[in-house]
Amino acid sequence: MIARLLKHLDHRKIACEVDEELRFHVEMLQQKYTRHGMSPAEAKVAAQKRFGNFERVRNQCVQIGRRSSPLQHVLRISLILLAFTGLLISSLNSNFRVARIGTVLIAIAVLGRLLLYVRGLSSASFLPTTKETSLSLSQKP
Amino acid sequence: MANERTDLMQGTLELLILNTLARESMHGYGIVQRIHEAAEDLLKVEDGSLYPALYRMEERGWIKSEWGVSDNNRRAKFYKLTRAGQKQLEAERANWRRISKAVTKILQAT
Repeated sequence: MIARLLKHLDHRKIACEVDEELRFHVEMLQQKYTRHGMSPAEAKVAAQKRFGNFERVRNQCVQIGRRSSPLQHVLRISLILLAFTGLLISSLNSNFRVARIGTVLIAIAVLGRLLLYVRGLSSASFLPTTKETSLSLSQKP
Repeated sequence: MANERTDLMQGTLELLILNTLARESMHGYGIVQRIHEAAEDLLKVEDGSLYPALYRMEERGWIKSEWGVSDNNRRAKFYKLTRAGQKQLEAERANWRRISKAVTKILQAT
């Protein structure tokens, strides 16, 4: 429950920060175009066009940010520690019941890690490669 | 003939970002402006496409971000090169030179 709440807060924080960062960029473009003589409405349209698909970029950044958030790192380290603890318990105890607890801990850690891996794969599947980004040469006449 | 577009090689945007950040830490808008200025508008980057690249590069540990204040007193996220990023930049530069040399040789030979 606490982990889910923390994760939710972490995700919201990432989304807010991405939003703030991208809006800053669009506003800077708008200011530049206004300085160059465009009306505010024209500058807004030109800035949006220059920036590209805002929603798509935001979603991509949020997905990558979630993947590499500190909470994800903490989760990964916790799972490693859990597996290590399980390994210690099962190898150092001759008592069958206690050793079984160790095995269960290892199983939870492995399943958790697998889950994180699969989630990472599914969120990465629609992320763009550099090939898909819009970087091009302009051939002037 | 104006603004005829030619797609560039994979990894080029990352190389340009690393190279831009090698001088000083910058926010995303500053990075795009610097690339445009340096390329004298011969190279076009769709501004939004920079950000997924920046996030991926941060995930790989090549760059690091922190919030700061921009020239116009706005809160902005600044990116700087890490030691791993510096190494990556050197590798990417060497790789670019190799490819460029090879393509030039082929073009001259035919």
